[in-house]
Amino acid sequence: MSKTVGIPKGLLYYNFYPMWKTFFEGVGAKVVFSQDTNKKILDEGVKNCVEDACLPVKTYVGHVINLKEKDVDYIFIPRIVSVERKKYLCSKFLGLPDFIKSLIGDLPPIIDIEINYYKNNDEFTQNEFIKVGRMFGKTKDQSLKAYFEATHQQKKFESLLKEGLTNLEALKVWEGKNLVKEESNYDLKIAVIAHPYDIMDEYISMGIIEKLKNMGAQVYTMEMLQKDLILEGASMLSKEMFWNYERDILGAGLYFLKQKNVDGVIMVSAFGCGPNSMTEELLERIFKREKEVPFMLITIDEHSGEAGIMTRLEAFTDLLRFNKKAVMV
Amino acid sequence: MKITYPHMGSLNMILKTMFEGIGVEVIDPPPSTNKTLTLGVRNSHEFACLPFKINVGNFIEALDRGADTIIMLGGIGPCRFGYYGQVQREILKDLGYDFKMIIVDPPHGRLIDFLKELASYFPNVDGKTALKSFVFAVKKMIAADKLEKFLLKLRAHEDKPGVTTKIYEEYMKKLEKAQNGKEVDKIVSEAMKKIKENANVRRKIQLKVALVGEIYMLLEPFTNMDISKSLNELGVEVTKTEYLSDYLINSAFKLPQRMEFKKNARGYLERDIGGHGLNTVANTVKYAKLNYDGVIHILPFTCTPEIVAQGIIAKISRDYNIPVMSLVYDENTGQAGYQTRLEAFVDLLYRKRMEVIC
Repeated sequence: MSKTVGIPKGLLYYNFYPMWKTFFEGVGAKVVFSQDTNKKILDEGVKNCVEDACLPVKTYVGHVINLKEKDVDYIFIPRIVSVERKKYLCSKFLGLPDFIKSLIGDLPPIIDIEINYYKNNDEFTQNEFIKVGRMFGKTKDQSLKAYFEATHQQKKFESLLKEGLTNLEALKVWEGKNLVKEESNYDLKIAVIAHPYDIMDEYISMGIIEKLKNMGAQVYTMEMLQKDLILEGASMLSKEMFWNYERDILGAGLYFLKQKNVDGVIMVSAFGCGPNSMTEELLERIFKREKEVPFMLITIDEHSGEAGIMTRLEAFTDLLRFNKKAVMV
Repeated sequence: MKITYPHMGSLNMILKTMFEGIGVEVIDPPPSTNKTLTLGVRNSHEFACLPFKINVGNFIEALDRGADTIIMLGGIGPCRFGYYGQVQREILKDLGYDFKMIIVDPPHGRLIDFLKELASYFPNVDGKTALKSFVFAVKKMIAADKLEKFLLKLRAHEDKPGVTTKIYEEYMKKLEKAQNGKEVDKIVSEAMKKIKENANVRRKIQLKVALVGEIYMLLEPFTNMDISKSLNELGVEVTKTEYLSDYLINSAFKLPQRMEFKKNARGYLERDIGGHGLNTVANTVKYAKLNYDGVIHILPFTCTPEIVAQGIIAKISRDYNIPVMSLVYDENTGQAGYQTRLEAFVDLLYRKRMEVIC
C-alpha cells in the first residue's frame, strides 16, 4: 500500500498546491488534505499556537492537527525560504517546520525540505525533492521526472491565474472541475490585494471575494497580473522590497493606482502581520497623496465578525458607485 | 549638514563620537520618553513594531531641533528592519519635514561594506581621520558594554538601593565626554571600583537570569522599562545576551559566533530566520545548559522572527526544565503589570531552587 502524505490547507497551499500534489503522486505517494477551514480547525489552531502569531499561522496549526488526527504517514511542511532570486519570504516560513514541531507533540514524520531559489538556481531545490523521492524508494531520475512534471503543472496553474481566475477557481479548473458560469453583469471593478492565504481561505476571510462578486463587483487579485506589470508598479519605489509577495502587493497596488483601471482597491491583511505593516503604510500614504483611486484596508483576525466586514464592503461599493455617477454628471 | 540618528542603547554616544571626530555637526535626538513614543505611535502603522515607532518619534524630535539629515541603516531582509528607512522617509515627508535621509544599505551586512558605503556620503573627510574616530568610537562602545555587563551582575548585590544606578549613570555621562583612550580606561576602572564598593550583599540562594530576545528591546532601557534594573533590585543577577559591541564584532567577523548559534540551536531551529530569532533560540539553549535559573524573552509586539522563536523556546523550556517567560512590549504596556509578572517569575525561581535544596 502506498504511503500517505498530508498537506495542510493553509499558507502557501493556495500558491503551490498543483506542484506539491503532482510531485507526491509522481513518487507514488497518496496525497491527503486537511479539511477546509472550519470552526474546529481554527479553534484548535488558536489553542495550540503562540498568541501573537498571525491568523493564517494559527489556522495552519489547526490544519496540521487535523492531519495528525487523520493518521497520515507523513506531513509535508516545507521550509520555504525563497521562491525568487534575491527575495525572501516572511520569517515565519523560514522557521515554519521548527515552529510547528515545537508547538504540536507526537506528530508523524515531517517532510521539511527547504525550498530556496534565493541564488536563482534550481539545483538546490531539485536535490531537496530528490531527498523526498528517496523516502518513497524512488531513484534520482524518477524523482527528477516527478519534479519536472510538477513544475510543468505549476506553470499550467499559474497561466490559469493570469487568465483572470482567482487561486481557488484556478485550482478547481486545474483539477478538471467545471466552474459555475457566473453572470457577468458587474458594474464595478475592484482589486483585492492580499496574501492568497488571507483571502482564499473562505472561512477566515469570511468570503470577501464572493461577497464582492455578489455586490456586483468584478474582482482582480495580484496573482492575475503579469509579472512585468507588478515589477512596473514596484519600480515606482526607490528600493524594491526584499519579500517577493510583499513586493507583489506593493507593485500591484501601485500598478492599479497608476493605470486607474479599477474603481477601488481593497487591501486585506491579517492582524499583527509584520510585513504588511510596512506595505500598508506605504500604499495607504501613496494612495492618499494621489487621491485618484479609493483605497480601503481590512484587517482580519479570529474575532472578526461577518456583519462588520459586510457593512464595510457595502459602504465601500456604495462609495465607488457614488463616485462613478458623479463623474457621469 | 546637521546629522541625526535613532536611539539604540549606547549607539548615540558612539555615533556622536564618530561624527564629531570627522567634524560633522550632530544633533542628538532627545532621550526617548513617553512623548517620543506618542509621536511615533501617532504617525506609524498600528502593527509596525515598537522600535519602528520609537525611531519615528526620535526623528520627529530631532528634526524639530534643527537636524536636516538622518542616518539610517538598511538591510536585505528577511527582518522588516531593512525597509524601515524607506517607510519612515514617507511618513516624515507627509508630516512636511524637509530633510535628507541617508539609508546605508550594506550589500552583505559586512562591517567593511557599511563603512565604505557611509564614507561615500562624506567625500571631504580624509580616510585617516575617519578611521581614527571610528576606532575611538568602537573603544568607547566596548567600554560602555563592559561597564554594563559589570553593572548587571553587581547591582544585584548593592548595599544601598539606587546608589549603583546613580554611579553608573554618572560615569556613563563622563564616558560620553571622554576625549581619548586613556580617559576611557580610567573612567571604566574607576566606575567599576565604585560599584564594587557598594556591592556586598550575599544571599544563600543567588538567582541568575538570562535576558534573550530582540536586540533593540534589549539595548534600549526605555523600551524594556529597564527590566534589568527591576530584576537587579529583586536580587537577581542578569546576563544580557545582546550588546552593540558583540553585534559589531559578529558582523565584522561573521562566522565564529554564527556557527556557535547554529550549533546551539540545532534540533530546535535549523536556520537563520531573520532578526534575532536564531540568537534567541540559541541563547536559550546556551543558558539552559549553563544552569541559569531562568530565561526571560523580550520582544516587540508583531515581531515575526521572535514569535517563531517564542513558540520554539517554550519547548526548550520543557526539555531542559528551565522556566522561560516571554514578555511582549508595545505602546500599551504598563510598568506595574510587568513588575508583577517579574516578581511572580522571580518567586517561582526561588521556589524551584528551594525544592532542590530541601
